[in-house]
Amino acid sequence: MLRPLILALSLALSLAAPPSARADVAAVVQNHALPGYATLADAASALDAAAQADCAPAALAPAWNATFDAWMAVQHLHLGPVEEQGRGLAIHFWPDPKGRGRAAQRALLAGDPATLTPETFANQSVAARGLMALERLLFPATDALQGDTCTLIRLTTADLARSTAEIATLWQQGFAASLTTAGEPGNPRFLSQAEARQALLTQLTTGLEQLADQRLGRPLGSFDKPRPDLAEAHASARSLLNVTLSLQALRDLMVNLAPDSPKSRAAFDSALARATALNDPALAGVADPAGRLRIEILQQSIRATRDALLAELPPQLGVGIGFNALDGD
Amino acid sequence: MTSRRSVLAGLAALCLPAPSWADVGNPRFLAAAKQGETYRLHGLTADGESLFSLPLPARGHAATAHPDQPLAVAFARRPGVFALVLDCRDGRLISTLTPPPGRQFNGHGAFSADGETLFTSEVIAETSEGRIGLWETRRFTRMGEAPSGGIGPHDVRRLADGNLVIANGGIATDPRDRTKLNIPDMRPNLTLLSQDGAILDQAALDPALNRNSIRHLALARDDRIAFAMQWEGDAAEAVPLLGLWSPGQAPTLCPAPETEQPRMQGYAGSIAVATDGRIGLTSPRGGLAQVFAPDGGYLASHARPDICGLAALPDGGFLASDGMGALLRITDGMTALQSHALAWDNHIVTLA
Repeated sequence: MLRPLILALSLALSLAAPPSARADVAAVVQNHALPGYATLADAASALDAAAQADCAPAALAPAWNATFDAWMAVQHLHLGPVEEQGRGLAIHFWPDPKGRGRAAQRALLAGDPATLTPETFANQSVAARGLMALERLLFPATDALQGDTCTLIRLTTADLARSTAEIATLWQQGFAASLTTAGEPGNPRFLSQAEARQALLTQLTTGLEQLADQRLGRPLGSFDKPRPDLAEAHASARSLLNVTLSLQALRDLMVNLAPDSPKSRAAFDSALARATALNDPALAGVADPAGRLRIEILQQSIRATRDALLAELPPQLGVGIGFNALDGD
Repeated sequence: MTSRRSVLAGLAALCLPAPSWADVGNPRFLAAAKQGETYRLHGLTADGESLFSLPLPARGHAATAHPDQPLAVAFARRPGVFALVLDCRDGRLISTLTPPPGRQFNGHGAFSADGETLFTSEVIAETSEGRIGLWETRRFTRMGEAPSGGIGPHDVRRLADGNLVIANGGIATDPRDRTKLNIPDMRPNLTLLSQDGAILDQAALDPALNRNSIRHLALARDDRIAFAMQWEGDAAEAVPLLGLWSPGQAPTLCPAPETEQPRMQGYAGSIAVATDGRIGLTSPRGGLAQVFAPDGGYLASHARPDICGLAALPDGGFLASDGMGALLRITDGMTALQSHALAWDNHIVTLA
């Protein structure tokens, strides 16, 4: 008598639960995060090896670009080891509207060279380190940094290689398991599988917001005051490339998290097609009406992608996004 | 005809002590939540167990508790058109407070130490000019109001000496949809108000930080007021979100290190002071709680998505809540106490 009831109950419960709760998080870990961080660590290690051999900016540009490409594949993941000890900020300090990075590097170059060692460099301001610091050294602007830039390049690449390797190791040795064992006893980080799914969904939505509001929004400024000088990595002319790579990375995260989401896929593909067609590497077009319109349309299609995703994914994943984070007061 | 039984019952009632928080199991905290599509106010133990829950007609924001009687006033989310006085023994609605015409409640309130007066944080709807509403608490009728000393007041706390401190957030909002109207010109301040509504002192931030809206308050050691802010300026500038104020002096700001400050995403949602004087801040946007020493020095960060509610636990550390239903204890680390099938709203209110 009791037994069929329990069976019926457990059947009903299993039907009510979201499908393949664990597979989606595991897929993100195995196919997206772990390979992404491993590739980043390899690229940064190769960049450092190249810099220690030859610090000539032109020779280093390809390895720096490869490292930045690899970073863009994981840059949207604001959880776990990258958030701790300022690792993510020390890899990529942007936006920097007050020019803190340049000022900090200038101070380092003006200081006593003997005090600059790999150990002391790791304690410098995050603004003076990472990919954007290297861009200022490898792609000098009109007010190029003066001094022993070769030593500073080598310290910066070594620091980048060290921190990216740390992140890859910490993911492999702990954080990946935190996500995949969500809800199991002894997992203090994620108290349920739903929490892990929600954390990943949040990376998607905030990643798209950052693309629209920061990577495109900052150079767009206002119609009366466009700010092409605020485009990310405009000195190396990879502003648009970063947008494209970030869209591809976010699409990859979504496909692993929620494979059956045709509307979100279509929205991503539409945004990617617009980015590909733009042909404006440094987003300099923000300053002329026709170019500006095309960048604004890309921005709109990124926001539409976020809307599509927010309509399609939460019911599938059985989670919403931040009840308090969204409200604010 | 009066029956013997009813006379006895009447006599018994006369002998009963006044209703107290013991009648509802001595909850330590109140917290609003969304459960499915309904909203409720919960009474919680120090272990995070729910002793009771009462229905709310719409999304709540914060509540304030009567110092002795098991009465809670639950405030609606801003712009508030209601505040409910609830008997926490049975959920009975004792009174519904409605702001006078042209006024809106702003989410927080406080009782006087003797429980005779309720103070409510309010704005003149059309201008966002701040008011503190005064209500007597026998029948909960309005007695009057006083200027809050600024635009857009939010949190209000009673100090040990009976005076009130108000966080005037500085933001003028559209009375219908909360659209912010004056960000470039906003001027938040802290205002010290006497119980009869006289402004005793005010403090503002450095003009470069005029976009740092002062929104939430907690009473810190040595009669200082800890205040939490929400940054309305450029998101790329990681400004301090915690400050300390001793009336009569200039406020001091308490930055976190450059690696930790940006993780708060320019937003502190709740603030609390632990029994040992440590100060906690939460950021639901950053999914982070930060703990500071009594003197404002940074101590630690604890990551937890959508964390917001925060209160001091009686035996040390903090109770925190999140939008996924968890109640957590923060000491040197963070551990889960309970998980409820609901979404905890912005604040946890400590009962006296």
